[in-house]
Amino acid sequence: MTQNKEAPKSGSILVVGGGISGLTTTLEAAEVGYEVFLVEKNSFLGGRVSQLNQYFPKLCPPTCGLEINFRRVKDNPNIKVFTKAEVEKVDGTPGNYNVTIKLSPRYVNEKCTVCGNCVEACPVERKNGFNFDMDSTKAIYKANDMAFPSRYAIDSSVCKGSDCNKCVDACKYGAIELDMETKTLEINVGAVVWATGWSPYDATKIDNLGYDMHQNIVTNMMMERMAAPGGPTNGKILLPSDNSEPTSVGFVQCAGSRDENHLPYCSYICCMASLKQATYIRAQYPDADIYIFYIDVRAPGKRYEKFYNDIKADEKVYLIKGKVAEVNEVDGGKIELVAENAVTGEKVRQVVDMAVLATGMQPNAALNKLPADLVYNEDGFIVNDFDKGGMFAAGCANKPADVVSSNQNATGMALKAIQTLVNR
Amino acid sequence: MAEKLVVEPDLGFIKEMAGLGGDTLKKCFQCATCSVVCPIAPETQPFPRKEMIAASWGLKDKLVGDMDIWLCHNCGDCTTMCPRGAKPGEVLGAIRSYAIQDYAAPKAVGKMVNNPKMLPILFLIPSILFLIVGFAYKAAGINWLNFSPGGEIIAHYKFFNTWLVDSIFVPTMLGMNLILAYGVYRFICDIHKNALAAGKVEDKPFDPKDLVTSLINVVVRIMRHDKFSECGENKERATAHMMVLFGFIGLFVVTGTVFIGLYVFGVHGPLSQINPLKWIGNIGGLMLIIGSLLMVKNRLTKTDQTSSYQDWYLIGMVFMLGFSGMLTQMTRLAGGEGVTYVVYFIHLQLVWMFIAFLPYTKIAHLVYRTAAMVYADYMGRGFK
Repeated sequence: MTQNKEAPKSGSILVVGGGISGLTTTLEAAEVGYEVFLVEKNSFLGGRVSQLNQYFPKLCPPTCGLEINFRRVKDNPNIKVFTKAEVEKVDGTPGNYNVTIKLSPRYVNEKCTVCGNCVEACPVERKNGFNFDMDSTKAIYKANDMAFPSRYAIDSSVCKGSDCNKCVDACKYGAIELDMETKTLEINVGAVVWATGWSPYDATKIDNLGYDMHQNIVTNMMMERMAAPGGPTNGKILLPSDNSEPTSVGFVQCAGSRDENHLPYCSYICCMASLKQATYIRAQYPDADIYIFYIDVRAPGKRYEKFYNDIKADEKVYLIKGKVAEVNEVDGGKIELVAENAVTGEKVRQVVDMAVLATGMQPNAALNKLPADLVYNEDGFIVNDFDKGGMFAAGCANKPADVVSSNQNATGMALKAIQTLVNR
Repeated sequence: MAEKLVVEPDLGFIKEMAGLGGDTLKKCFQCATCSVVCPIAPETQPFPRKEMIAASWGLKDKLVGDMDIWLCHNCGDCTTMCPRGAKPGEVLGAIRSYAIQDYAAPKAVGKMVNNPKMLPILFLIPSILFLIVGFAYKAAGINWLNFSPGGEIIAHYKFFNTWLVDSIFVPTMLGMNLILAYGVYRFICDIHKNALAAGKVEDKPFDPKDLVTSLINVVVRIMRHDKFSECGENKERATAHMMVLFGFIGLFVVTGTVFIGLYVFGVHGPLSQINPLKWIGNIGGLMLIIGSLLMVKNRLTKTDQTSSYQDWYLIGMVFMLGFSGMLTQMTRLAGGEGVTYVVYFIHLQLVWMFIAFLPYTKIAHLVYRTAAMVYADYMGRGFK
């Protein structure tokens, strides 16, 4: 490697995806002096982490970490952020990639002060995907409380455009431009880091767990939103059927993970996520019964193991070794979870007010192939080819990982990208 | 579990499982999905999760004497839903196959019968037996084996005299039944012992009336194929299985009636084609052929189902019994004298093989499964 000392054509790095991994790679590379283009398809940075109520195991909110990162991004002149942007094409070789980026219109410019007058004026509602459609927003919306850039955006799929024009009239700052158009941007970079993240596995595909048949079955990511202060229930965990308070909650681990019929791999985070969510429920309902049905509880490392042991000490948290393979609705909306307790060898039919499916993570690259010459494993995660170099995957684009591992991995990929640029 | 359990794995057993179609058992990670999705497993100590770990640990004795392996009807729902491709349904099939051979004495015969390489020899055994016995009678001056039967009507008894056939078949039948009875006796002792130890059932004083009731319950259930229709995945097997079962029952009735007709009333075959017994026999034969062909089709289309030599042996045997039987009749009616005697000879060899090797082959499930189901019904191990 030391033989080839030819200077690369471009000294810049492209980071695709503005979640926790992409932010980390961006900052680590930019803060040692490299120019970084950060491309994010949403109207805000922060990705999946911004949807969480709390991180495990420290149980601090995602503002902790994200806010400081946003601040660092804002203050660093080496970083160019593009939101509502998607990479359309990547051509070239390590050290010299020509990238086409599509910039979709936000319809709201930087004059926006987030005063909210436009929202009041807007007559159109849309389902709020950020809250997994559990509530709705106006067509002009701010994705979440800590959205960065802190600006409104318009959902063009529902907005009536200049025929309506009510938001434009309501805005005192001239921040709304309904005639904003899609743009294309061409840049040249020396290295690309793909931090395209993950999506929760589609629970409707798991037929025997009845997600779309029973109202009081939610996914773990929905639970995060319900527990989050800015969520659809303002942080209160309530039954979807009638907004009443649950007295018992059952967690169904490995919902679609470690299953050849769905995701064959372990999604790594769901055990810890459910244990963490048990603390959400306990905090709001001191007497609630919490049932966790598992194959194996995977709480790796000293800190996670301690967290697990703390949860186990709760007398009203029942851990049952046996995968839930059948659900039924009983007593008008209650959920019966059926499993075999593999320790006692008896069939368990546990009735709970609400069931949480601990769905796993599927790489976004598996759902939508990326426009670049990348190698994927059979599950759709990007395989890092360090011999070839030039393009790398960070965080959950590369493997199922928690926030800590994603950050470590993302830091490593920043270094790999820099090594490509300096040709070592 | 309070008592100390020392696991003594039978490695040979685990290896043999693979040959019997249970090669996937090591993939199991004990999630227990199978026990939940099984449409017929009982609520207490459902199968097949516990059988999967016992198989993985090589606990042979625990498994061959486990009634639950026979309560399983290989619906295949567990195999479809298994997150690991461990195919519990197939593994239980392999355990059953092993259990049959384990209870059938002498084991050397079982080994031979279940070895595909020995198949030609198996086929030669009845041929040699027939000829030896036939010539032995000839030497004693009794001409029951006639290589040039002649005569105006073709009648199979002129070639192989019925006395010759029956003097071979009756002892074969009796011997087979003794071997089977010995196996089933040990089997019932074992499942009772294991079920008590596992707490699946509670001991109770013997009640013959209850036993008869259970027997009737189970026979009705088997005739109606209740368990098959409770299956999710493999439902369509019921038709094929029903055809073969009722085909055999029909043929058994015909054979029994003809036997009585001959020895009690002196009525000799061949029967008239419009005789109702002939109809039953023909329908039975056709049912064997169609049923076995349906089984072949089902097995070939269901790619996640493993088919072992034992499965193919039985299906092949059923088909050949029906086919050679029908062919015997057709060649006789067509007047092909030489041909029909050869075909009849082959048919007789197959029937002998079928009966003599019954305790060692998959067809023995007829008695083991019935015994286990009656036991479960009698002891009150409800299976849904």
